[in-house]
Amino acid sequence: MSGEHQVVESIAAILRQAMPFQVLSEEMLQKIAALGRRVSFGKDAPVYDVGDKADDIYVVVRGTVEHALEPGAHAQRPVVMLGAGSVFGWAALLDKYQHRLARAVCRQPTEIVRINGDELLRLLESEPEAGNVVMSRFATMITRDYTVPDLIAQLRQLHARKRGGNVQGINLTAYRLLQWSKSPRPYLMLIGFALFLGFWYLSVEVWKLPRFREMPGLIEVVKEWLSPNPTYGLSIYTAEYYQHIGVSIWRVAQAFFLATVLGVPFGLFLGWSKKFKEYVFPVFETLRPIPILAWVPLAIVMFIATESAVIYLTFLASFFATALNTMLGVESIDESYVRAANCLGASKSQVFRHVIVPGALPFIFTGLQISIGVSWFSLVAAEMVSGQYGLGYVINTSYTMVRYPTIVIGMITLGAVGYVTSAMVRVAGDYLMQWRTRELALGGQ
Amino acid sequence: MSAARVAPRSQTGTTRGAIVIDDVVKIYDPDGAAVMAVDHCSLDIEAGEICMIVGPSGCGKTTLLNAIAGFHEITSGRILLDGEVLCSSEKPKADPGSDRIVVFQNGALFPWKTNLDNVAFGPLMQGELNKSDALEKARGMMADAGLAGVEHNFPGEVSSGMRRRVEIVRALMNEPKVLLLDEPYRALDSLTKSVMHEALLEIYYKNKVTIFFITHDLEEAIFLGHKVAIMTTRPCKPKKILEVDIPHPRDYGVLTSKRFRELMEETNDAVHEEALKAFAAGEKEG
Repeated sequence: MSGEHQVVESIAAILRQAMPFQVLSEEMLQKIAALGRRVSFGKDAPVYDVGDKADDIYVVVRGTVEHALEPGAHAQRPVVMLGAGSVFGWAALLDKYQHRLARAVCRQPTEIVRINGDELLRLLESEPEAGNVVMSRFATMITRDYTVPDLIAQLRQLHARKRGGNVQGINLTAYRLLQWSKSPRPYLMLIGFALFLGFWYLSVEVWKLPRFREMPGLIEVVKEWLSPNPTYGLSIYTAEYYQHIGVSIWRVAQAFFLATVLGVPFGLFLGWSKKFKEYVFPVFETLRPIPILAWVPLAIVMFIATESAVIYLTFLASFFATALNTMLGVESIDESYVRAANCLGASKSQVFRHVIVPGALPFIFTGLQISIGVSWFSLVAAEMVSGQYGLGYVINTSYTMVRYPTIVIGMITLGAVGYVTSAMVRVAGDYLMQWRTRELALGGQ
Repeated sequence: MSAARVAPRSQTGTTRGAIVIDDVVKIYDPDGAAVMAVDHCSLDIEAGEICMIVGPSGCGKTTLLNAIAGFHEITSGRILLDGEVLCSSEKPKADPGSDRIVVFQNGALFPWKTNLDNVAFGPLMQGELNKSDALEKARGMMADAGLAGVEHNFPGEVSSGMRRRVEIVRALMNEPKVLLLDEPYRALDSLTKSVMHEALLEIYYKNKVTIFFITHDLEEAIFLGHKVAIMTTRPCKPKKILEVDIPHPRDYGVLTSKRFRELMEETNDAVHEEALKAFAAGEKEG
C-alpha cells in the first residue's frame, strides 16, 4: 500500500515539472499520477512509430528521447530532443488524428511515465475548470515546443462542456451571475451609485446649489420612503404604494403582451411579403413618429373607459417598436438560408417556421427591449393625463398637491421596476437564443 | 439522344446525376441595360463526375449554378438532369429540389440549429423520415465523416472547416443526384483547404454523387476534378475543357506528380488570360 503510494507520489513530482500540469492542485496531480505507469526503455529502443495507434501520452522521467514529426504535421522544426519533464505522445489528445504523427526513439536508457489519453480526458472532465486549463496548455505546448500549426493541434473536447437541452439556459444564467459576482463589476456599480447619491446629498442639502436647493433632498426622501408614518402618505409601509406599483405593472404587462402578440406577427408579415409591405408600410411609417402625447385626446374620445385609453396609449409605441424591428429582422436574414432550406425540400410554411422566425429572433428581442422601455415611457405619459392609480399618476398628483418627496419616490420606483422588466426580457431572449449567446461567448473569449 | 448521355461512365460507375447544359443564355436586364452573363454555354457533365468550373471572380459561373439549382431564370437554352428538362425557354426557372443541393460560398448552416438538427433537416422537411430515424441517420452520417462529438454544438461553436463538412453531410443526407458547390473553400486558409480537399474526396468516394464545383483556383480544380471547364469572363462560356487523366482515388501526392504539373502548364495560360480580361473589364467599369 505504502509502496504504491510512493510510486504515485514520485509520478506526481514528475508531473509537477511538466508544463501542462504545472498549474494543477495537489489533489488533481495525485489523481492523474495514479493513472500513470513507469516504464523503462534501453538505448535506441523505439517508443512508437508514425502511424501507430495513439493511446497514451508520455512524460520523460530521465534520459533523452528523439522526437521526429512526419512531414504531414507541417512542423517548422520536426526533430526535437526531449529531456526530463518533457511531455510527448500528445496525438492521443488530438481531435482529428488517432494515430502517431511522429517517431519517438530513446537515445539513452530512458525512464518514462505513460498515461492513457482517454482516462486522462475523463479525469479532466470531472473538473472542467482545471481540465480546460490543462487542455489549453497542451495546445500551447504543441504549437510552441513542437512548432506544429494550430490546425493540427486541435485537441479533443472535454465533454463536460457539452450539456444538452434546457438545463443549459438556467446553468448559463447562473454561471454568468457567479462570474459577475467574482468580477470587479459589482463593486464599480456600487461606487457609481454611491457617487450619484453623494452628489445628490451634497448639492441639495449641504452646498444648497442654486436650482438644486429647491429639490427634495436625499435624506428627506429616504426618510419619507422608509417611514411607517409618512408625512405625505406614501412609503414602503403603505398598501397604497404597492397598489400603484401593481396597477402600473399590470397596465404595462397588458400593453406589452398585446404589442408583442400583434407586433411580432405583423412585423414578420411585413418582412416576408413584399406586397403586404408596399400596402401597409407607408401608412405605418407615417403613424410611427407621432408622439404618444399627441394621441391622448383621440384615445380619450375613442375609449370611454380610462383604463382602456391608458393601455391603448401604452401599447401604441411598443407596437411600433416591436413591428419595425421584427420586420428589419426578417429582412436581415441572409438569402442563402432560405435558398438552402428550399434545396433541402422545405415548403413555404416550413421555411417561415424554421428559417424566418428563428432568423429574425435576435432583432425581435432587440425590438422587445425597446418596446418594454417605451411602454413605461408612454405609460407615465398616459397616467399623467388620465387615470386614478399608477406611478405616473402618483408623480403628477404629488406635484399638484406639493408633495415633493413623493415625486422622487415615484421616479425611483419607476426606474427600478423598469430596469427589472427590461432585464427579464433580456434573460428570456438569452434563453431562447442559446445559439447566439454561445456564439457571442466564444467571440468574447 | 438523352439515353446516350445518361449512360454510366465506367470510371465512376454511377448512373444518376448526368447534367446537360445546352446552349444556355442568361441576360440580366437591370434598368434596361442588358448585360449578358452567360453566352450560349454548352457543357455535358457525366453521372458521378466531379466537374470543376474555373473562372475569374464575377465571370458568371454562379449564374450557371443558380440556374441549375433553380434560384434564377435562364433567358434561353435548356438544362437537363438525367434526361429530364429542369429549365428551358418555356419554363425559365427550375424548381429547387433535394436532388440538387447547393453548398454555399459563405456557408448556410442554420446557426440557430445544432449541427445534428441541421443535418437532419432535409429528410424531416420532406417527411421522408420521422424525427428519431432522421436523427439516427444524421448521427451515423456525421460519425462516418469524422464529425462525431460536435452533434450538439451549434455551427458557430466549431471551426470553419468543420462547418463545411457538416454542410456537405447535410446535403448528402438527402441522397442528392448532384452537389453544387459554390467556391466552398474560398474563405479557408490554405492548410485547412488541403485537409478539406482530402475530406471531400473521401466523402465522394463513399457516395459517388455528381459534383459541380465552382472555383477560381486552378490547382484545386485539377486536383479534385475529372473534368475542368475553364470559363471565359463575362459573358461566361467554356473556353477550354480539360479531361484530367490522373486516376482516382487521389491524394496529396498528386500535387507533386509530373502529370499534374503538365496539366497545370497546359491550362495556366488560358486561366491567366481570362483573369487579365476580367481585370481590364473591371478597370473599365470602375
